[in-house]
Amino acid sequence: MNENESRLGRIMDGIGGIVDSYAVTLKHLFRKPITEQYPEQKKVLPERTRARIVLTRDPEGEERCVSCYLCEAVCPTDCISMEGAERGDGRRYALWFRINFARCIFCGLCEEACPTLAIQLTPDFEFSKYHVLDLVYEKEDLLIEGCGKNSEYNYYEHAGVAVGFDKGEHPGEAKPVDVKSNMP
Amino acid sequence: MPRLVIDDREIEVPEGTKVIDAAGRLGIMIPRFCYHEALGAVGACRMCAVKFLQGPFKGVQMSCMVDAKDGMVVSTTDAEAVAFRKWVIEWLMKNHPHDCPVCDEGGHCLLQDETVSSDHSRRRFLGSKRTYRDQYLGPYVQHEMNRCIHCYRCSRFYREYAGYRDLGAMQIADKVYFGRFRDGRLESPFSGNLVDLCPTGVYTDKTSRFKVRRWDLERAPSVCIGCSLGCNTVAGAQFRAVLRIEARTNPDVNGHFICDAGRFGYSYTNGGAGFRQRPREPMAAGAGIGREGALERAFGALEEVARKYGPESVAALGSDRNSVETQCALKKMCAAKGYLPPVFFLDPAARRKTCEAVARLDERIAFSRSELESADFVIIAGADPLNEAAMSALALRQAFRKGGRIVVIDPRPVSMPFDFEHIPVVPEAIPRIFGMIVANSIPGEGGGLDANAGKFLRKLDRRSEDATLQSRIEDLAAGLAAAKRPAIVCGTGIVDETTPAFAADCALLLYRAGKRAGVFYVLPGANSYSSAVLSENDGRTFADILEAMEGGSVRALVVVENDLFRNFPDTRRLEEALARLELLIVIDYLPTGLENRASVFFPSSTAFETGSTFINQEGRAQFAHPVHAGGVPILGGSPEHVFRPDVPGGGQKPAWSILHGLETGLSGSGGISAEEIIASHPAFGAIAPLRYPVDGVRVIPVQSKEEFTSQSVSGGEPAPPRGLRLLLVDWMFGTGEISAYSDTLLESIPEPVLTMHSADAERAGLLDGQEVALRLEGGTVEVRLRVTEKMAEGVILLPRHQNLRWQKIRGFPALIDPERIAAL
Ligand code: SF4
Ligand code: SF4
Ligand code: SF4
Ligand code: SF4
Ligand code: FES
Repeated sequence: MNENESRLGRIMDGIGGIVDSYAVTLKHLFRKPITEQYPEQKKVLPERTRARIVLTRDPEGEERCVSCYLCEAVCPTDCISMEGAERGDGRRYALWFRINFARCIFCGLCEEACPTLAIQLTPDFEFSKYHVLDLVYEKEDLLIEGCGKNSEYNYYEHAGVAVGFDKGEHPGEAKPVDVKSNMP
Repeated sequence: MPRLVIDDREIEVPEGTKVIDAAGRLGIMIPRFCYHEALGAVGACRMCAVKFLQGPFKGVQMSCMVDAKDGMVVSTTDAEAVAFRKWVIEWLMKNHPHDCPVCDEGGHCLLQDETVSSDHSRRRFLGSKRTYRDQYLGPYVQHEMNRCIHCYRCSRFYREYAGYRDLGAMQIADKVYFGRFRDGRLESPFSGNLVDLCPTGVYTDKTSRFKVRRWDLERAPSVCIGCSLGCNTVAGAQFRAVLRIEARTNPDVNGHFICDAGRFGYSYTNGGAGFRQRPREPMAAGAGIGREGALERAFGALEEVARKYGPESVAALGSDRNSVETQCALKKMCAAKGYLPPVFFLDPAARRKTCEAVARLDERIAFSRSELESADFVIIAGADPLNEAAMSALALRQAFRKGGRIVVIDPRPVSMPFDFEHIPVVPEAIPRIFGMIVANSIPGEGGGLDANAGKFLRKLDRRSEDATLQSRIEDLAAGLAAAKRPAIVCGTGIVDETTPAFAADCALLLYRAGKRAGVFYVLPGANSYSSAVLSENDGRTFADILEAMEGGSVRALVVVENDLFRNFPDTRRLEEALARLELLIVIDYLPTGLENRASVFFPSSTAFETGSTFINQEGRAQFAHPVHAGGVPILGGSPEHVFRPDVPGGGQKPAWSILHGLETGLSGSGGISAEEIIASHPAFGAIAPLRYPVDGVRVIPVQSKEEFTSQSVSGGEPAPPRGLRLLLVDWMFGTGEISAYSDTLLESIPEPVLTMHSADAERAGLLDGQEVALRLEGGTVEVRLRVTEKMAEGVILLPRHQNLRWQKIRGFPALIDPERIAAL
């Protein structure tokens, strides 16, 4: 290979590279900008975006959460804690329920684990705080009025325990056994 | 011994071992619901299916129903067996409700585990689910019958193993129901074991209902300090509160089970209702004072008293609730400072009885609770097993089930869940009667016995003046003569001072006569063994210290974990004597009331928080491991949003560490070392190096120094006392120091009653159920009267009940003129 040829080729390559990039810059100078002016302009995020967590209610308006501790168990950052309690009618609920959003990584595992559809992640990601302790949310802060993503499911309708629905009243259940009868 | 192969691994097991247990020895856990080591096999659940490839028979069989035999080749992973087990799960789930999220068993549920591991997740069955109505079963056990898988464990335990009849199986076929005939409290004081036994969530612990999941509990092996048996438990804590106690298997001590008082009587450590009862801060004269301030003040004041009046003016009192570490630290402090050596007993008679019992325990005749289970003839002398050491009654029930004969010689209307013979006599007559049974069981003059044993035998009375009693004794003696493993269960409560040693000698005599005989003592408290060992050469008790306080020679008193006003029989005298003290230092974790009188009060930690050693009634040292760090529980409301480095309401030190502070004046976490514990008494040598196997170590000698030295009880029938003898008795619920501060037990505590024989009642013109006034030396006690024929004449029984001011009795043995009991 000739040494002069290759030197010329490399010079041409260099010039071409510079010209190309100027051309791109020049082209963009005359394009419409695509930057979104957040926070003045807000984007509608997909429904399944994983951000701020809420506790929802069932269609009857009762708190869905039964304080089963499953979300707390599955949470990889251990940021959920709660204490279960029993209501007068036997219904199990969370006496207190807290999520430390300073630790939450919005992985969504809690939502996946929740058997009652109580805990749900929402697209609202805007809740930064100046003080880290303000990111510890209590049940009052988490509980919303609505049903969230599912407007039908009521766990206690299916549970089989006599809360809200009597024994034998849940779908697919037979009447309670009468232990004092000898009828087959 | 059959050899068989399970999953390609060979094992040799004793004859009669079930294949499921043989696999267990290889570390292969065959799934099971109905099989349980203590309850045996019934083959009800079909979950333990394995495939037999070679041997006496082939094919899929239930491993819990088949005895291991030579030449068997078993596969637990064979496709056919796995498929079989999968179907079992599917058909069990056919009726199972959809309620794991609200079920407290979730997380440690056998059914849940097997369902997940068999990969069953979709319901294919199209029919409906069977449902049941639930029952109210009392304050401890929650019932949710839909979850039942019909393994029969509950009814087998409740009726067969424990001997109570109010819970069991009803109905047939698809309608089988486990419960009571009607709603109501479970009668068995062992009902809590249903919670552990039920493989699903039919029975769950009501005291911790919905509060916690098993996976969140900080769990550690612990030891119950409810009575002297020291049953093994697993304690679980969350949110700085102990929330659940489960039975821990220890074949020598409690088997698989514990009693309800031990299981549910834990809330004292949390501070009872509202968590406020437990004293958590050091105090001086009832007002808060910092930790450093308290130590400074107490140390200075002790030095001051010792300087002014000499170190012998400082006395110290421990208790049976102290751990071994605490008792040794107390002893060490007193020795180092020249204070009077500590005392651990209030009553000289109790000290003597406990010391006598402890001195006699040795490897030859000390029976563990499991040995009691296989005894074939049991004499219970002056003990009320169910009330004084509940789990021993369950052991006796097993002895009964195996065909053992049981006779109770005790004045109280003893009740236990099996048939036994009862000879109700006054305490002083107890040793003579069981001595006669023992003597009559050995033919002739005891030829073949060594000199000492022969001499002891010849001293024993053989004949009673009472002909009916005599024929009864002869009948029992014939039974004892035929027995191979007889046991004597001896109490230390109501009996005379010489009875415990006499019981040991009788057991030794039977041992010498060629039987595998033993003695099983019931001691007054959790760590009585250690109290006795540490005061064996020191006859003093609190009674002597009290006199010295009154005489002015004792000016300062250190009380370590003793609920003095509950335990001492003369409240007024105690108050006056305490008022004369210049310095009262109290260390405790219970709100005994002494904390407000104390010049300086130090809150100590419980065994759940620091871990400590207790020695049970058969001389087994057991370590209760620390479970959690303590502090005010954060249950009942969300915790504050604050950062803090310490545990609110926590940081209490164990009593031994506080005592170290009082000795040296230095705060810090110093305490007592293993060497120092061993130095406290030669018996503790076996404790080294404070790292026990989890089953504990026995610290008793191979051979006791004393044998056949007990006082002879011959010399005819004791003269009946004039008047009625008042006996203070313990109940399973309502009389214990620990249970008094556990509000979880409140609902179990029966109303106090004075119990009297019907003949005595008739003579005094009193009726059953009447409110009576009992005039004691120190005042009148009003109490309901219970009249029964199932007890001895000449005694009346008063429980040390927490709702009864029995402390007006003024002295431990009390003779009451029947005139002093009047109807209200
Ligand atoms: S989203 Fe993930 S990290 Fe956040 S609370 Fe749920 S499980 Fe925990
Ligand atoms: S998993 Fe759902 S029901 Fe269970 S505690 Fe969490 S939010 Fe409540
Ligand atoms: S209640 Fe529990 S222990 Fe009793 S049969 Fe049913 S599953 Fe078994
Ligand atoms: S028998 Fe005694 S040691 Fe055992 S659990 Fe009951 S109270 Fe505790
Ligand atoms: S464990 Fe064998 S049949 Fe239930």
